[in-house]
Amino acid sequence: MRTNYLLPFKSRYFGIALILVHIPIKLYWDAQYPGSDIHRHIDSAVTGSTLFSPPHLFFIGTTLMVLIGLFLIAFSKEKVEDEQIVQIRLDSLRWAIYLNYAILLFSLVFTETNESTHILFLNMWLPLLFFILRFQWMLYRLNRSVRKNDADIHV
Amino acid sequence: MKNNIRVERAISEITQAELADKVNVSRQTINSIESNKYIPSALLALKIARVFGKAVEDIFLLDDKD
Repeated sequence: MRTNYLLPFKSRYFGIALILVHIPIKLYWDAQYPGSDIHRHIDSAVTGSTLFSPPHLFFIGTTLMVLIGLFLIAFSKEKVEDEQIVQIRLDSLRWAIYLNYAILLFSLVFTETNESTHILFLNMWLPLLFFILRFQWMLYRLNRSVRKNDADIHV
Repeated sequence: MKNNIRVERAISEITQAELADKVNVSRQTINSIESNKYIPSALLALKIARVFGKAVEDIFLLDDKD
């Protein structure tokens, strides 16, 4: 049996919970500290002035929650992780990398250097998010085609 | 690649779900193979052929496009 280095099926629920929990925390923070622009804090954090300040620590915490959440959703096994699922998974991962590098190259050419943190953000979310969406969409299409075939047989 | 899994299933009177169970894949995968939407690995093709007690070449046939 080949090792597939995927997380257990149920870890996706922990991932979803992390993302859901992050929403009220973020809303509470925004209500408590209106106008605290996370990007501004990050930009100044790069220069070292507000590194590990409360907004920066909040940003690190919430970003880690969402990132780990997305990671758990993306790389948890399906109920039956067979070779077709593995192929769809790898295919989705390939498209995510293509898209990521296309946007990375585009932003490298058409953005200024002081926008590099935004590009970093984009790189952080986009491959995982696109991978999850594409993978789930392909699974949905697969299940739909099975239902359609079943209906055709029974007609 | 074409296959006659559907015919073999009908002869052996087993459902897609039963075949899927015997070869440790999902029913969706068996359905995709039957509909020629997915080409199985050599390992899976051998397992499916063994369920029907036949050679792989009796179940899976090369297409003109292959």
